[in-house]
Amino acid sequence: MTISAEPSATLSHLYRADGSATFSQNGYTVIGAVNGPIEVQRRDELPEEAAVDVIVRPAAGVGGTRERHLESILQSTIRQIILIHNFPRTLIQITLQITSTPENDSASSKLVQASSNLPILPTLLQTTVLTLLSASIPLAMTLASISFAINSTGSSRKIIRNPTLEEFQAANSVHVLAFTSNGQLLVAESEGSFTLEVWDEVYEIGKDFCCDVTEPAGDDIMQQDGLDGNTGGMAFVRSTLEHKVSADLHWKD
Amino acid sequence: MASTTAQPTLSFPRDTFAKLSPHPYLLAHLQPSSSASPSTRANGRSPTTFRAPHVNNGSLTHAEGSAVVRIGDTTVVCGIRGEILLASNVAGYRVDRSSTAPSSKPGYNETKELDLLVPNIELATGCSPAFMPGQPPSTLAQSLSTRVYSLLHSSGLVNGEDLKIWYQPPDLSDQDKMDVEDSESIEPEVKAFWTLYIDILFISLDGNPFDAAWAAVVSALRNVRLPKAYWDPDREMILCEDAVAVSKKLRLNGMPIAVTALVFRAKEQAPTGDNKYWVLVDPDAFEEGLCDESVTVVVDCTGGETKMLGISKAGGTVVGREQVKQMVGLAATRWAQLGPLLKG
Repeated sequence: MTISAEPSATLSHLYRADGSATFSQNGYTVIGAVNGPIEVQRRDELPEEAAVDVIVRPAAGVGGTRERHLESILQSTIRQIILIHNFPRTLIQITLQITSTPENDSASSKLVQASSNLPILPTLLQTTVLTLLSASIPLAMTLASISFAINSTGSSRKIIRNPTLEEFQAANSVHVLAFTSNGQLLVAESEGSFTLEVWDEVYEIGKDFCCDVTEPAGDDIMQQDGLDGNTGGMAFVRSTLEHKVSADLHWKD
Repeated sequence: MASTTAQPTLSFPRDTFAKLSPHPYLLAHLQPSSSASPSTRANGRSPTTFRAPHVNNGSLTHAEGSAVVRIGDTTVVCGIRGEILLASNVAGYRVDRSSTAPSSKPGYNETKELDLLVPNIELATGCSPAFMPGQPPSTLAQSLSTRVYSLLHSSGLVNGEDLKIWYQPPDLSDQDKMDVEDSESIEPEVKAFWTLYIDILFISLDGNPFDAAWAAVVSALRNVRLPKAYWDPDREMILCEDAVAVSKKLRLNGMPIAVTALVFRAKEQAPTGDNKYWVLVDPDAFEEGLCDESVTVVVDCTGGETKMLGISKAGGTVVGREQVKQMVGLAATRWAQLGPLLKG
């Protein structure tokens, strides 16, 4: 059972949806599809903005309270990045199907209500952004997300980036952060016992990782950064899209 | 809208203004025209003022523990019932502590694996016009249930040992000295577990459901008295003692409280940046309708220092490091206010 912490993505592979993406990281794979702007049911219609509907489907079974909670986090986040005021009285519907989750030996008996809701959140957020980009829905910004597990033993503490599920369960505290492309904190979810100093440290590392702070002068530098092994969150989104665009425009050459 | 109110012939009473254009109404309160008057919210509180809490413990006689928490016009009843789960009914339960048992793995949480804590939030009680009775659980109710569930486990509030019912098999080796292997000390074994059903009912909802629900859960858990339960080997079942004197309380790890704040932005649609904003703690239902971004911090100041047990933030980009730091400071003051009441 080898789980790659490196992200991988496929764009626009569902032909009937307006946009789609598959994203995998840390053993989680999520297929996302977006339809929009489409007609909205009368009772959900908003006069000044687009209604955003997020549906999360678990890998096994039907969605429960955990999926509703994830949906509400995602919905309030995505409303911030889509230019919803450009599409009043419409609906943008995002469906996220979890297709694989890492195997868990210690909690194998519980499939549906599996442990914490945090480990999957970065994958869901990242899939959503790629899906929206694939559908060319006008966005105010993009986001990048990362998770951390922190093990404190005495005075020393170990920060694990993109932890595995075992590391997640054994950690003193776990943190999920998402930053916008402007470097602002958009989502922060933390669980476990920690202090403000630890959170500050996590914030700094997360920000460094998510938003390539060393803003490159030209796009060619960016491309090189994006292609090497240890990609930042935003750089990954960018390099994925660049690959897709160059593949789509291949006929021109 | 604001310009029409300036004309004397077309002036509205306060509540009409609030209903017609809620956003400018709250903005007019927070941004007073004269700099001398302080910025207050429409409900008369300053942005950092909490509503006064009232806690009443043990009012439900048929529950093992209960609490009624009232914060402003938000009222929550939490009742905790204990039921017994026989270890023989747990599929694949192993008493031994060998290295292959799942319980020996790091991060194994028995309380969680066996679902010994079952929180449920009911909003469809007619608590607010938004939630009609008889409807299926709304997204908010499900989301709150999940948050209470994960916070119960991630904070480690309930000690798993308190929920175990042990049985010490009698040492029969005295009568039968023949077998040497049996004479070794007999390990006590877990015969059953207490399962706590934590039901949270909202009687009235005027904003900030999570803080009130969590305060009710903590207060009710502190109020729980589980009867002394023991394994009767003759009848092969668990029996409970009636006497209150032998019942025992749960040993809780600290006393975390949750503090929620919303971010109100001066311009509804403008991109974030130079936009003016206010962080409103302990929001009411009117303010919840006007704000997108919310932050919840869970703190515990039991040991004298502020320990954080959770941050949950979504829906906007205003809150960063500085704001979280301020929130934790506010939460510490709230802990000093609410803590003694929850101990009650």
